[in-house]
Amino acid sequence: MKISVTGLGIICAIGNDASQVLDSLKNKESGIRPIKYLRSKHVELPVGEVQLSNQQMKDMLGIEGDGPVSRTSLMGAIAIRQALAQAGLGGLEGKRVALISGTTVGGMDITEQYFERMKTDDSLLYLPGSNECGRSTVEMASYAGLKDVQTCTISTACSSALNSIILGSEMLQRDEVDVVIAGGSESLSKFHLNGFNTLMILDKERCRPFDDTRAGLNLGEGAAFVVLQKDADNTLAYVSGYGNRCDAFHQTASSENGQGAFLAMSDALTMANLKPSDIQYVNAHGTGTPNNDISESQALKRVFGESLPEISSTKAFTGHTTSASGSIEAVMCILAMQEGFTPANLGWANPIEGGIVPTMGREGVRLDNVVCNSFGFGGNDSSLILSRSTGGFSAPSKEYEVKEISRQSVDSVEQLPALKEFVTPMESRRMGKLMKAAHLASFRASREAGIECPDAIITATSRGMLEISQQFLDDIVVNDEELLKPTLFMQSTHNTISSAIAIRTKCHGYNITYSHSDESLDWALRDARRLIQTGKARTVLVGSFDESTPYFASFAQRSGETVPPEIQALSIILTRNED
Amino acid sequence: MEELIRDLKEQIIDALNLEEITPEDIEDNAPLFGDGLGLDSIDALELIVILDKYYGIKLANPAQGKEIFKSVAAIAEYVAKNRTK
Repeated sequence: MKISVTGLGIICAIGNDASQVLDSLKNKESGIRPIKYLRSKHVELPVGEVQLSNQQMKDMLGIEGDGPVSRTSLMGAIAIRQALAQAGLGGLEGKRVALISGTTVGGMDITEQYFERMKTDDSLLYLPGSNECGRSTVEMASYAGLKDVQTCTISTACSSALNSIILGSEMLQRDEVDVVIAGGSESLSKFHLNGFNTLMILDKERCRPFDDTRAGLNLGEGAAFVVLQKDADNTLAYVSGYGNRCDAFHQTASSENGQGAFLAMSDALTMANLKPSDIQYVNAHGTGTPNNDISESQALKRVFGESLPEISSTKAFTGHTTSASGSIEAVMCILAMQEGFTPANLGWANPIEGGIVPTMGREGVRLDNVVCNSFGFGGNDSSLILSRSTGGFSAPSKEYEVKEISRQSVDSVEQLPALKEFVTPMESRRMGKLMKAAHLASFRASREAGIECPDAIITATSRGMLEISQQFLDDIVVNDEELLKPTLFMQSTHNTISSAIAIRTKCHGYNITYSHSDESLDWALRDARRLIQTGKARTVLVGSFDESTPYFASFAQRSGETVPPEIQALSIILTRNED
Repeated sequence: MEELIRDLKEQIIDALNLEEITPEDIEDNAPLFGDGLGLDSIDALELIVILDKYYGIKLANPAQGKEIFKSVAAIAEYVAKNRTK
């Protein structure tokens, strides 16, 4: 069985559709410009913005009314429509369809604009929750005219969109759906622009991936989606292999030898039944930070040895489009395969000692197999292989039964001092209450199950790290985008907990976080069962973690809804029946 | 200088959430990173915020921190020379 890509849609700083993006790539025209639409005082930081206002995008989609709509939803809906149009599915009636999107920021661009006013203005009570990742996916489905589809949201920071494509491919192989629309969308926000700024990894010049003088990344925004189907006639490219691994090293930095990236690429090659020498091009993650580019270089050299394929980072074109980068760059890979060229690594001039030497772009090349790398905070590293032809995937030789062997929950802050048994005060000093509760539940569940390191870690959160995120938002307001705390930002992404547990248990296995409102845990459990049934993992830690803060609880009170609990952490260990 | 060292220790304890540590626990010349207090790269970024917030010193490159943040005494010396507030 083969997974076909039958449609693609893309919108980013270098074009509002695939043909514009293709022209910019071939003409080597960067989309990095001064800030135009984002409301931030940091105008010294160049960005890769989509060159459309919110109103222009609303008009394109036929959205009426003055209500604020997140750019994440708008860009996503535009890309989804393009992908569906190209796939030419006709009606979707009678088909089992899933829309899977990756995002981290979600509707934060709206939340941060109204953050202060929402505290007192009851007319804005429909807005809290607009930063929920799951809501942006549901909005996209609606604006793209998708009815009766399953929706799902993955949030593994900057590898989110690539993981959406991986999940979609898995669901098709397991015959859970007929059509998948998978990708990701991420708007620029003051929140993460300031966040990356606290980490001191933003370049004030255009970024220079893999260059010795590189001084950080430029943030970008955009969306891209692909339509995936089984054994289709109108195939643009095949998904022939993929890997999702955890670097399990640091919350915001990659390991020196690029272990997570190495494992993800190696898994993808094994799955595709390809040798390293079968790969003609790698679209690297290549952010332009000193740390990423040397770490990824090491991983690439470990995988490909002396005969490296052509490699480039396209981030000097688009900026780092964070959660959307995986699907944006996968779409670029497909365009490159179809048109027979390799995208240039814009801005490169000086080799890094021990680094890879990227391609400056070539025309007239035949690309049969390409690798697309996408890495996220917490070491959530994924790699995808797209191919012109493939042998396809065969069904697993054996199906396993799934059983639960332990379950632990933590539901009040009074229980948190017990964490001392597992974690030293020096290690827990930065943890917010949700992180502490999640660790406590997970370590207790692991102990009960007699497991030190699971094969995979899958977490679910509907609202993410609310306490920490709110503190960071407050700081942005109070300190006017200055003197912000990196400690807060580095713990604000939804995958913070899954990666923190991986770092602590040194778990380099599959690692993912679902953030799809009340359905998050269902999606996490489905994924865990799939891994165990197909023999890909023997033991899986599944966690469901959510919290509230007085600020967010007050919205529920004011709108007469149930006030969410202060903390809620549930950890389950699943394994397989051996007989 | 003694007062500056005292202030720095309190600011560090506060910014890095070193809940169980008092200023007396931090020796003036003991290393802050690695084998000493055991701080990491994120703490180094927090120390850069402290320099900016309390002393008006802006570091453009986090790599500069390596020399400056060797010990509290080293930070105090750098602050005394470069402070703008």
